Amino acid sequence: MKTLVSILIMALAISACSPKDERTHITVQRIFGECRANVPRDQAPLRNPDGECEILTGLIDRFERENPDIDLTVNIVAWPGYDQLSAQYAAGDPPDVVSIHMSSMPDYQSRGLIVPLTAELAQDGVSAKAFTPAARQGITIKNELYGLPFDNWTPLWHINTGLFARAGLMKDGEPILPHTPEELLAQARQFKAATGKPYFVQSMINERAAYTRNLYTYLMNQKAVFFEDPKHIRLNTPEARRIVALFKQIYDENLTTKDQDYSSATQGFMNGQGGVYLVGTWMIGAYEAEANTPGQPLYKSYAVKPYPMLFGAERAAYVDGHAWVVSNRERSLKQDEAVRRFLKFLYDHNYDWSRTGHLPTVQAVAQSSQYLSLPHRRDIVALSEIGRTLPSEVQRQFAIQDIIGDELFSAIAGHKPIEQALTDAETRTNDLLFHLL
Amino acid sequence: MLSAKAKTQFGNFLFVAPYLFVFAWLLVWPLMSGMGLSLFKADLFGGATFVGFENYARLMSDPVFLQAVGNTFLFVLLCVPPLAIIPLLLALLLNRSTRTAAFFRGVFFSSSVLSVTIVTLIWRMVLIPDGGFVANILAVFGLPPIPFFSDPGIVMGSMAIITVWWCLGLPMMLYLSALQQVPQDIYEAAALDNSRWWTTLTRITLPSISRTVVLVVIMQCVLQFQLFGQPQLITQGGPNGASRPIVLFIFEVGFRRWDIGYAAAASQILFAIILLVTLGQYLLSRKRTGDA
Repeated sequence: MKTLVSILIMALAISACSPKDERTHITVQRIFGECRANVPRDQAPLRNPDGECEILTGLIDRFERENPDIDLTVNIVAWPGYDQLSAQYAAGDPPDVVSIHMSSMPDYQSRGLIVPLTAELAQDGVSAKAFTPAARQGITIKNELYGLPFDNWTPLWHINTGLFARAGLMKDGEPILPHTPEELLAQARQFKAATGKPYFVQSMINERAAYTRNLYTYLMNQKAVFFEDPKHIRLNTPEARRIVALFKQIYDENLTTKDQDYSSATQGFMNGQGGVYLVGTWMIGAYEAEANTPGQPLYKSYAVKPYPMLFGAERAAYVDGHAWVVSNRERSLKQDEAVRRFLKFLYDHNYDWSRTGHLPTVQAVAQSSQYLSLPHRRDIVALSEIGRTLPSEVQRQFAIQDIIGDELFSAIAGHKPIEQALTDAETRTNDLLFHLL
Repeated sequence: MLSAKAKTQFGNFLFVAPYLFVFAWLLVWPLMSGMGLSLFKADLFGGATFVGFENYARLMSDPVFLQAVGNTFLFVLLCVPPLAIIPLLLALLLNRSTRTAAFFRGVFFSSSVLSVTIVTLIWRMVLIPDGGFVANILAVFGLPPIPFFSDPGIVMGSMAIITVWWCLGLPMMLYLSALQQVPQDIYEAAALDNSRWWTTLTRITLPSISRTVVLVVIMQCVLQFQLFGQPQLITQGGPNGASRPIVLFIFEVGFRRWDIGYAAAASQILFAIILLVTLGQYLLSRKRTGDA
């Protein structure tokens, strides 16, 4: 028995011996999914080369290859990842670098959980001016840059040009888009009469964000100041009522698909169920691939445009974006250096990420012929100039988005009068903001 | 000095001490902490301020919370009777030692081993009005799809259907084990008396398994008051808040708004509701047993 125990102890001791790892360890946490099976290490993706997961997996592999002295531990968390991140912060063990939405940055900044990066980025010659206006706005809080902007995204009008042509809504190869709510309704009715299909494809079940983003964009289009200060929202206004009334009329007249959730709507547009799908930049690649595949309903029938301005001349769009932030935790100088090198690497590869369909955040990339020669990018690149986030000190933007979306659907589907829904959205949001610590 | 008997009893206590320690650490302490937290205005990262019962007062005037309480009671009412009756009928049908019965026992129990994610994926495909299984069947008869997830009047019924399908395995097994405890000689005596099926059921079977019925009802009440995953994954509490149960409210307030003092107060109310309902049922069943 003694011999056996001795052997076991020796085996354990030997197994514990390993060469000392001299590399610098940092932890990176990201969303965007897990696709290692599709991206063999140090090889091109086997499929979907412009997917978010594929591009980021490849980029991180490349960083590790080019920086053998840095050991990255990559945590991949399910979207949006905030439950895990909050738990990690509460437990005092956050990742060093983490991808979050620009709209969530005020939550973490206000509690001192992330650090300003202005000085760190400046060391690598990166200043705020290097970023597009939309990106700069999204990461700037109290005149400090609190993250490396990775992209901006926003909902777009994804258009089935084949159906638009059948409805007589194409001119010189370009879709005819409305300029006023009345034009929109007229064109939508014309579309339905000609094709028998609804003008809009929308995700309406299990959905909140889409309604809120539509509202934000068209409030900005009317120059409405709905956040007078970061603790108060004004929603029961003539501008908001006009927007909700328009979407309600579209719903009431069956000019949109109903009863679809996100995956049904995404698939439905692909199958030609309607003319315009209101969804974000991230779908450009997938729909472009369909448009290039003979036999598919979208074959040679796809265009994508920013939201047409329906309520005035002000060109604006609500945008959010992804940014890399650095946790406020103890790190060695070497680890700080590793974090800085990782951020600089991502900055240098902003073009690669913009292949996903998201808007680039580096001004030089947004203006480059390399980027502009990607499909449809000339149509949407202006959004990196005119896109706007919510005011940078508004906290709990995800929760606010949910509350407003909840109430807007109630109004649009007729479960509540428009005024009541907007009042309820305003009251609930202000109650949330009032009770922030 | 401890007596010999007391020493023995103390020694016995050591056997349960590990369990008691873990129970106190992982259940009693968090419960007490939650009660304490509910008296503070606090977010996930500290900064707590004592506010007394203000969080409770806020809850009592919060229409979203009150709607969530109503939704939860409605859901329990929709779910618990079917979950008490359908598994009983299945158990009565399958309480025999044939291979077919064994096969169907496995079939009916199999849904219980699925995670809520799988269950909701399956039922989304069945109920979604846009190309779902039910919608396709209705379309064959020229009928419009039913808005299972977007009509506030229907959505909680949809959640109940999903939940009953998911949860009936365990009660069925409990009933089966109770049925197998009923002495066979009573049934033989009833058969000799030419007792009809209904009489045997109501006079012998049901009284013999009444404790299990009470157990199933209490257990299902406790479980279904904690509805969360199904609406969170399928509707996010919509439309118009009609499928938001208390636990989803707590999740939204605690993890999306970081208002954990408020979420803790809502948790205490949920705890009190479950405790009262369970105690009420228990006392009622004891009184009935006593009356009998």
